[in-house]
Order: sequence, then C-alpha cells, then structure tokens
Amino acid sequence: MTKIKQDTSNFGEAYKELEGIIAWFENEDVDLEEGLKKFERGLALAKQCKDRLKEVENKVVHIKAKFGALDEEHTDDSEDDQRALL
Amino acid sequence: MNIFSVTQFVDFVNTSFTSAVFPEGVTIEGEVVEYRVSQDRWIWFVLKDETAVISCFATVWQLRTPLEDGMRVRVFGVPKIYPKSGKFSVTVERVELVGEGALRRAFELLKKKLETEGLFSLDRKRTIPRFPERVGLIASKESAAYTDFLRILGNRWGGMTISLTSVAVQGKDAVSEIVGAFSYFNAHPELADVLVLTRGGGSLEDLQAFNSEEVARAVFGSRVPVIVGVGHERDESLADYVADIRASTPSNAAEMLTPDRREVVAFIDGGMRHVDMAMRAALTGRRDAVSAITAQIESYARRSITVFLHQLKDFRRHFAVFSERLHAKQVACEGFHVQLFSAAAAWSDRLTRRLDADTRLLKTLDPRRPLEKGYALVTKGGRVVKDAGQVDVHEMVDIQLFRGGLRTEVKEIL
Repeated sequence: MTKIKQDTSNFGEAYKELEGIIAWFENEDVDLEEGLKKFERGLALAKQCKDRLKEVENKVVHIKAKFGALDEEHTDDSEDDQRALL
Repeated sequence: MNIFSVTQFVDFVNTSFTSAVFPEGVTIEGEVVEYRVSQDRWIWFVLKDETAVISCFATVWQLRTPLEDGMRVRVFGVPKIYPKSGKFSVTVERVELVGEGALRRAFELLKKKLETEGLFSLDRKRTIPRFPERVGLIASKESAAYTDFLRILGNRWGGMTISLTSVAVQGKDAVSEIVGAFSYFNAHPELADVLVLTRGGGSLEDLQAFNSEEVARAVFGSRVPVIVGVGHERDESLADYVADIRASTPSNAAEMLTPDRREVVAFIDGGMRHVDMAMRAALTGRRDAVSAITAQIESYARRSITVFLHQLKDFRRHFAVFSERLHAKQVACEGFHVQLFSAAAAWSDRLTRRLDADTRLLKTLDPRRPLEKGYALVTKGGRVVKDAGQVDVHEMVDIQLFRGGLRTEVKEIL
C-alpha cells in the first residue's frame, strides 16, 4: 500500500522520465548497451504509470468550515461521494 | 411629554431605527443619481424614484459594487440622522444591482478598472501542474456544476484527492464564502496543487458573485493557481478573466485540469512500441554486424586455408620434383664417384709409370754421371767454364770431381 502511494505521488516524475526515454529512442542513434538499460527502465516506468492510471476513483474530502469566521472542521465524506460518482 | 435635547433626540431616533424599527436593516430599491466619491474614501449618492429621494452614504472599502448615475439598485443599510448636519441618510452596507442594464454596466466598469490594474494580464498567468494530485474545489455541493465536474474528472483521471469547500454561488453570502474559501486554501497549501472555482450558467444577476471585485481579487491574490469554469460556453465572468486558466463550463474545467487517461495510455503504448521497434532495429543491426564480421572472418579463413592448401600442394609438387632431381643427382654423383675413382686409379698408374720413365731419363741426364767416368767440371764464381777465354791467368777456378773438388789457380791459357 505504501509503495502504491509512493508511486502515485511520483506519477508526474515517472511520466516525465518515460517521455525522456521515448524521446531518446526517437532522436538517438540507439547504442545497444545504453538502449538496453533505458529500455528496461522504460518498461518499468510504463508499467508504473499504467498501474497508476488504473486508479479510477477520486477521493472527495469535504471541508466543513465557516469561511467568514474561518471556523475549521475537517470531515471525510469521501465514501459517500465515491458511491455518488459510481 | 418628554422633552429631548437635540443630541438626545438624534440618538433616540437613530437607536430606534436600528433596534426597534429596522432591526435587520432596511432594503430600498431605486435609481442612483448624483453619485460622487470624496477623498477616495466616502461615497455619496442619492436614491430616487418618481416622487421621492433619499440620501445614501458609504465607505469606499465597504461598497465594492461599481455604481454610476442611472443604475437601478437595491440598497441594504441602516437609516440614520447624521448628528453634525442633521441630515437624514442611509448608511449603505451593500448594494445589489437590479436589472440586466445595471448589471451589464457595472460589469463593464469593473472589467475596465481591473484590466487597467493588470489583473487580466497574460504575463501573470501561472501554469497548473501537469498531473495534479490534490485539487481544491470551490463550488456548491448541490449544484449540477459540482456533479458534472466530478463526473467528467472521474472519466478522465483518478487517484486524486479533491478537497471541496461547498459555498453559496449566488445570493448575499456568495462573495464572502467564495473569498473565504480562497483564504482557506491559501492558508492550507498542503491541501491543493490547484484550485477550481466553478458554477453552472445563469443570468447576469445569478453570476454577480463571480463578477464581484472581491472574488476577482481573491482569484488574483491566490498563491495556488486557479482554474475558473463558470456558466455556459458563451458566459463570461470577471473571475474568468483573472483565472490562470479560463474554462468555458464546469465540465471544461475538469478537461483543463487533467489529461485524459486514455490519451496518456495511448501515448505510453505508442511510445513503448516505438522504443521496442528501435531496440529491435538496434539488435538486428548488431546481429547483422556480427554476422558480417563472422562471414568476413570465415571468408578470410577460407581464403587463407585455400591459399595454404595451394601452397602445400605446390610445395609437395616442388618437393617431389626436387626429390627426383636429388635422387638423379645422387645417382649421378655415385656414377661420378665410380668414374672418379677409376679415373684416379688409371691416372695414378699412368703417373707412376711416367715417373719411373722420367726417373730413368733423369738419371741418364745427371751431370755428375760423366764425373764418374773421370770427367771434371770447371766453374768460376759458380758459373761453368766452357771456354778458356772465360778465365785469365792467376784467376782461381773450382774443379768438381766425382768425389770431392779442387780450387786451383790458372797458370796458363793454352
């Protein structure tokens, strides 16, 4: 679970790195040794990104605050909202 | 009957208005005339209808609605006698514009003002994160805009945490709640990478909060980038112009917020297919290169072996020829040997015989042989004296006999 969370937060970075690798293969005259390393890294990143993309639900947290007085109170109604979404 | 002092009377009237007569304040609708601002702090105008007028007063910081003579408005405030002048006026707390014309005019005035101030400047537009993880949503939970936004967002992207501040999007609390929500998110930056302010379409009157200076400044002042999606395609609001990204509808706000996962998956798949092809090409290239080199080595080797075999064959042939010659030479040599020995033997015999003959001849020619018989050999200074003329008297000559010799002096030449 922890790992998934970590991957999730790194989606942007993983995707950016993957784009870099894809671009490298488009531009470079592929060197086999380096290409092989990048290829393996690319496969791992593609898997990581696609796994992350399988997450279909967005969690909704309701902020219960009186904005005039900034009276803050957090409640997590996400389960209700997720059901509402589905 | 009570007798008031003037101060007491004014106080009494003012207190009566606020506590007894209009405890919730008063709302008066009319047309604005004689609008003026003094010292950039005080606003004065007169509200009138066909038959009456009432003076109104407000402070610049409290009354943010842009006003102009001729606008129809609803004034919310408290009636009061100003003690120093005895003038009766309404102290204005807020103003609502009435009718499309007033709203449109106020909109244009404020738009111009904010534009001049640079709130709409493209230079200040910030980019939103490409893949936001935390979204601060400012919308009404009951609105269709809210469900539309979440539905479209869910179709496009998942795994995000959306913090919703459910606010009034129209009515008297809308502005303060929206502004409060912006303050809240800016005070809790851990909640949101990006803020989305959205509501559905409506009349200019419904959208007033989104055209208010307060909301425009809240959007402008937000440290977290903001997407605003208000109304229908053709609607415009001042919040739109200030936003970092202006979406045409709540659904469009969701589209502007995240990419579509299907497009991203397609990009990843396409990209990885390309990478795969490039790798295969590189491998094939390498394999071809290896094959070419192997073939080259093989061909060199074959050629070398062929050359070697040819050379070996030549060598064998030459060797055979050489062997034959050698053998012939050997045979010849042996022949020579025999010839040589037989020739040598013959030569030796001949030589012996000749030597014997010569010895015999030589013996017959020995100059000492006549001496045996009694002859003598006369020499002078080593030379044989054959003629008496060769010597003079008293000269010494040597006479060699068969055995021994004499040295004698010539006595006389005969």
